[in-house]
Amino acid sequence: MLRFVVRRLLLLVPIMVGLSLLVFLWIHALPGTPAVALLGERATPQNVAQFKRQYGLDKPIYDQYLAWTKTTLKGDFGYSIEDRRKVTTDFFERFPSTVELAVAAMLVSVLLGIPLGFIAAKRYGTWLDHSSLVASLIGISTPVFFLAIILKYLFAVKLHWLPTVGRISPLIDTPHPTNFYVLDAIIQRDWSALWDVIKHLILPALALGSIPLAIVARITRAAVLDVQNEDYVRTARAKGLAPRIVDRRHVLRNALLPISTIIGLQTGFLLSGAILTETVFARPGVGTWLASAIAYRDYPVLEAGILFLSILFVLVNLLVDISYAIINPRIRYS
Amino acid sequence: MSAAQAQAAEVAFETPQTGLWRDAWFRLRRNPAAIAGFVFLALFVVVAVFAPLLAPYKPLDQNLKLIANGCCPGPSAHHWFGVDRLGRDELSRIIYGARYSLLIGVVSVSVGLSVGIVLGSIAGYLGGAVDSLIMRCMDVMLSIPGLLLAIGVVAALGPGLWQVMVAVGVANIPIFARLLRGSVLAQRENDFVLAARSVGVKRRSILLSHILPNAISPVIVQGTLALATAIIDVAGLSFLGLGDQDPSRPEWGAMLTDANEYLQIAPLLAIVPGLAIVVSALGFNLIGDGLREALDPKLRGRVGFWRQPKLEPLSERVAPNV
Amino acid sequence: MGKKLKFSLLAALASLALVTAAGAALRSGAASPSTLVFATSADPVVLDGALISDGESGRVIIQIYEGLVGLKPGTGFPAPGLALSWSPSKDGLAWTFNLRHNVTFTDGTPFNSAAVCANFGRWYNFTGSFQNPDATYYWQTVFGGFAHNEPGSPTSSLYRGCKAVGKYTVRLFLTQRSASFIAALSAASFSMESPTAMAKYGANQGSVDSNGVFHPTGTYATQHPTGTGPYMLKSWKVGDKLELVPNPHYWGPKPHIQRLIFKAISDNAARLQALESGEVDGYDLVAPQDIPTLKKAGFQVLSRPPFNVAYVGFNSSIPPLDNQLVRQAVAYGLDRQSVVNSFYGGRARVAQEFMPPQLFGYSKKVQKYTYDPNKSKALLKQAGLTLPVKLDFWYPTSVSRPYMPDPKANFEAFAAGLEKAGFQIVAHSAPWRPDYLSAVNSGKAQMYLVGWTGDWGDPDNFIGTFFRTPQDAWGNFKYPALYALLTKALGETDSAKRVAEYQQANELIMKFLPGVPYAHTSPAIAFRKGISGYVPSPVDVQAFSTVSVK
Repeated sequence: MLRFVVRRLLLLVPIMVGLSLLVFLWIHALPGTPAVALLGERATPQNVAQFKRQYGLDKPIYDQYLAWTKTTLKGDFGYSIEDRRKVTTDFFERFPSTVELAVAAMLVSVLLGIPLGFIAAKRYGTWLDHSSLVASLIGISTPVFFLAIILKYLFAVKLHWLPTVGRISPLIDTPHPTNFYVLDAIIQRDWSALWDVIKHLILPALALGSIPLAIVARITRAAVLDVQNEDYVRTARAKGLAPRIVDRRHVLRNALLPISTIIGLQTGFLLSGAILTETVFARPGVGTWLASAIAYRDYPVLEAGILFLSILFVLVNLLVDISYAIINPRIRYS
Repeated sequence: MSAAQAQAAEVAFETPQTGLWRDAWFRLRRNPAAIAGFVFLALFVVVAVFAPLLAPYKPLDQNLKLIANGCCPGPSAHHWFGVDRLGRDELSRIIYGARYSLLIGVVSVSVGLSVGIVLGSIAGYLGGAVDSLIMRCMDVMLSIPGLLLAIGVVAALGPGLWQVMVAVGVANIPIFARLLRGSVLAQRENDFVLAARSVGVKRRSILLSHILPNAISPVIVQGTLALATAIIDVAGLSFLGLGDQDPSRPEWGAMLTDANEYLQIAPLLAIVPGLAIVVSALGFNLIGDGLREALDPKLRGRVGFWRQPKLEPLSERVAPNV
Repeated sequence: MGKKLKFSLLAALASLALVTAAGAALRSGAASPSTLVFATSADPVVLDGALISDGESGRVIIQIYEGLVGLKPGTGFPAPGLALSWSPSKDGLAWTFNLRHNVTFTDGTPFNSAAVCANFGRWYNFTGSFQNPDATYYWQTVFGGFAHNEPGSPTSSLYRGCKAVGKYTVRLFLTQRSASFIAALSAASFSMESPTAMAKYGANQGSVDSNGVFHPTGTYATQHPTGTGPYMLKSWKVGDKLELVPNPHYWGPKPHIQRLIFKAISDNAARLQALESGEVDGYDLVAPQDIPTLKKAGFQVLSRPPFNVAYVGFNSSIPPLDNQLVRQAVAYGLDRQSVVNSFYGGRARVAQEFMPPQLFGYSKKVQKYTYDPNKSKALLKQAGLTLPVKLDFWYPTSVSRPYMPDPKANFEAFAAGLEKAGFQIVAHSAPWRPDYLSAVNSGKAQMYLVGWTGDWGDPDNFIGTFFRTPQDAWGNFKYPALYALLTKALGETDSAKRVAEYQQANELIMKFLPGVPYAHTSPAIAFRKGISGYVPSPVDVQAFSTVSVK
C-alpha cells in the first residue's frame, strides 16, 4: 500500500514540472502588454514606453523562467494588474467561495443523482428508466451557462424566490473568519445569515451540478444494474434476505466504487464550470476572477489561477486513486 | 416472464456471428434513443447544408427600422422567431448558425482525433520510453481541467472561431490518445497479433491492418460524444468573449451571449440559440450512447435491447470533457 | 422501497419549495430607511485620489474626501469647496485661495493652509514608481512633471510651488498661465488628504513588481483613507462590498444615509436583476434597452446631462484616410442618426462636433454631415479611387461605455451603412483593455470607435486633450494652425476671446475631419422608488450625502 502511494506521489513530480513549464511558456506566448491594461483610455505610447523602460519587461525568456520558478516556489505570484493586490491574497480570498459552490454542486449531484440512478435501475425498462436516461442526456447536452441563465431568469427575476447575485446579502454583517460563509454562519450561530448564504447557493449549485448529476445518475444506474446480476447478489436473494437489505448491503456498497471514482473525476469539470456559473450569478470566486483576468490580460492572475486549479485537480485525482486502491485491493498491484 | 422463457426468447434473437459492424447496426436500429438521435442529427445536417434554400432572409441583412421602437419585435408572420437587435431575422440566423456548429464540431474533433490517434497508437504499440514520454505529456495536459486548457490555448492564439476550434480540439487530444493507447495495448497481446509477428509481418502493417481496425470502436463512440461537447465548449468560450470575433456571423454561442443583455425584453433571442445547441448536442449524445451499447463487444452474440447492459471497464469510460 | 422513496423525495422537494417561498417573503434585502445599497460596475482600485484615474475609484473617493474646488451640483462648473474663493495674480502665475475655517479631517488633524501645501508638496515630490503614468495620471495631465523627474517623466511642470500665507490662506505658484487649472482642481485626484494619516499609514509606501504593476504597501489607501468629506470608510472587502458611514465631525449638512454600501457587479444584466429583485437599491451604467423595463416596473431612471462624445476616429496618416475627400466621404457614409435612434434608447443626440453643446466654445456654425451614400460615392470618385474602398474598422469587446453602451451594435450598423456608401469594411476587434486601447492609442487602428467623458467643465478637456498636440491615435496629422490656436486658448485670460477661440477651433476641426463625432448621450442611473436627493452630474461627481431613503 505504501509503495503504491509513494509511487503515485513520485509520479506527481514530472507532472508538476511539466505543468509549470507549460503554464510559463503559455503566459509568454500571450499577445498584449500589461502596461496598457492600467492606463485605460489614457494609454498613450509615451506613457507605455515609460512604463516598459522603468520595469524591464524585455529580458530573454530563459532568464525569465528561472526567475519565475524561484519566485513561484517562494510563494510570490506577483500582483494583479487589475486590482493591484497580491495574487495569492486574491486567490485565497476567493477560493473558499468556489469550493463552497463546487461542494454544493457535488452534493446536488450526489444527493439527487444516486437515488435517481438507483430508482431507474430498479425500474429498468419502464418509462421511468427511459425518461431518466433521456433527462440525463439532455442534462449533459445543455451548456452550463445557458441553464444558469434560464434558472436565474425563472426563479430569481420572474418569481423572486431566490436572489440573483453574490454570496450573501450586502446588508448582512457577520464576520467571516474562515471565508467559508456557510461555516462562518454556523460558527457565529447566525441562522438568518446561514439561510441567506444557502439561498444564494441554491441556483448556482443546481446549474453547475446539473451535468455531474446527469453523469452520476447514469453511472449509478449502470453500476447498480451490473452489480444486481452478480452471483453474490443472487445468492443473497436466494437465501431469503429482505430486498432492502440486499440493496443496501450488497448492491449499493459495491456500486459505490465506480460511482466514487466518477465523483472524483467531476472535480475538473466543477472547477472549470465554475467560471461560467460564477459569472452568470456574479459570485466572487476564482471563476469570476479568471474570467475578468482573461478580458484584462491580467497575466499574474491567469498564471496563478490555471496553475493552482490544475494542481488542485491533480491532487484530488490522486486522492481518488488512493482511496480507490484502499477500497479495491486489486488495483494496487496493477 | 420466467427465466426459461427469457432464455428462449434470447436464443430466438441470437444472430449468427456476422461481424462487429453488422451486429452493431442491428442493435442500433432497435434502440429508440439512437433513432431519435439520428433524426436530430439528420435535421441538423440538412439544415446546415441547405441553409441558403431554407432561410427566408440573409443572416446579415439589417433592418434598423424594425427596432425603431426599441428591441425587439417578437415572432410575427414575416419573422417566425422575431428579429435581433439589428433587425436581422432570427430564424435565418439560427439556420445559418447550424453551419457553424457543424463546422465547429467536425473541425474540433478532427484535430483531437487525428493527433490523438497518432500519439496513442505510437505510444501503445512501441511501448517503453516512447510510451512513457508521450503519456506523461498527455498527463500534463490532462491535469489542466478541459475548459481551462481551451481557454489557455485561445488566449495564446488570440480569439477567433478557428482558434477556438483548435483549442477545443487540443483539449481532446489527450483523451483520444489515452483511449487509443489503451485499446492498442489490449490488442497487442492478442493471439492473432502474436501470430502475425511470428510470421514476420512488419510492425507498421500489423498496427495499421490488424490492431487499429479493432481498436477503433471506442474511438468512434468517444468521437460522437466529443462532437457534442465541442459544440457546448465553443459556446462557453464565446460566452467568455473568446469566440468568433466577426460580430455579424450567426454562430449560436455568440448569439446566446449577445442575447444575454436583452434577456428581460426579448428572452426568445436567448432561448432559441440555446435550444438549438441543446438539440444538436443531444443528437450526438444519443447516437454516441447508442453506438456505445451497440458496439460493446461483451454484448456480441447476445442481442436484445432488454438484455441488461454490462458496465464497461472504467478505462474506456471517459467523463465528458466540459 | 420504491414508493417510500418516491414519497420522501416528493416531500423533500415540496418542503424546499415551501421554505424558499417563505424565505422570499422575509427577504433579508428589505432595507431600513437609513441604508442604501448601490451596485457599481467594479471595485475601486485604491482610495487615494492622487493614485487613481478610474471612475469607480472616483465614485467612492468623492464621498470621503473634498478638494479645494468643488462643483455646482449637477454641472461641471467650479464652485467653492474647501476653498471659499480664489483669485489670480496680475500675471496669472500665482493663485490665492481663501480656505474654509474650522474643518478637520476624520482623524482630528485640522485642515488649513499647511495641509494644502502638504498635499501639493506630496504630489509634486513623488519619485520613483509614483511617477508611473498609471499611478499619477491626473497630476501629469494637468501639471506635467515633478520636482525630480525620473527618466521618461514629463520634463516641465505647470506647478512651481505652494506657500501657506496665513492659517487659512494659501498661494499656489504656476510656471505659466492656465485658464483651466481651477476647473481641473475639482477632480477627485486633487482631493485634500490628512497629512498625519498619510504619514502614519504609509500613503507613500509602494513598490512595483516584476510585471510592472504598481501597488501601495501601506494601509492608507485601502483601510485608512482620511478626508474631510461627509462619509468615512467603515469596511471594504474587495469583490464583496464597501461600506461607508457618516463622518461625525463633518462641517456641512449631515448625510441622511447611515449605511452606504457599494457592491460591485460587473455584468449589466446582473445589476438590473439585482435591482429588480430588491437586492440593491440603485445602480449605475444602465443599459439603454433596460430603461423601458425599469420604468414600467416603477423604478426611477435618472439621467446625467450629456457631457461626453462618442466618435469614429481616424488615423489620418494611413491612406486613403490621408485624403480629406475620403474622410468627408466616410462622414457622409456614417448613418449616425440611425445608430443614435437604435442603440441609445432615445437618450442620445447626434454629435456635430467634438464637445457637447452645453460647454462654452461650442460653435453652431460647424459643417454638418448627414447620411448621404451617393455623396460619399461621388467624393470617392472625385478623389480618384475605385469603389469599393477598403477600410480597417476597429471596435472594442468586453466593454460598455456611457457613450457607447453596445459597441458591437454601433459597429455593425455603421459598417452596413458604409458598405452602401462605396466602402468595403474589414472588421477588427479586441478586448477594451489592454489590446484595443493600445491599438488605438499607438495608431495601429486606421478607423476606430471610441469616446470621451469630460472630467471638468472646460473645452480644453475635450478638444484640447484630443487636438492640442499631435498624437499617434490621430496619425500625427500636420495642422500647426490648429495646434497653435488650442495652445493659445488654454492660456487665454480674456474669457470672451477664449470662447471665440474655441468656437473657431471647432469649425476648423469639423472641416479637417480628423474623425467623426456621432453621439452625445445621457447616461442613466436607476433607483427604486422612495430614494431621492441624488443629483446626476455630467462629470460623474455625485454626492450620496444628499440622498435620502423613504
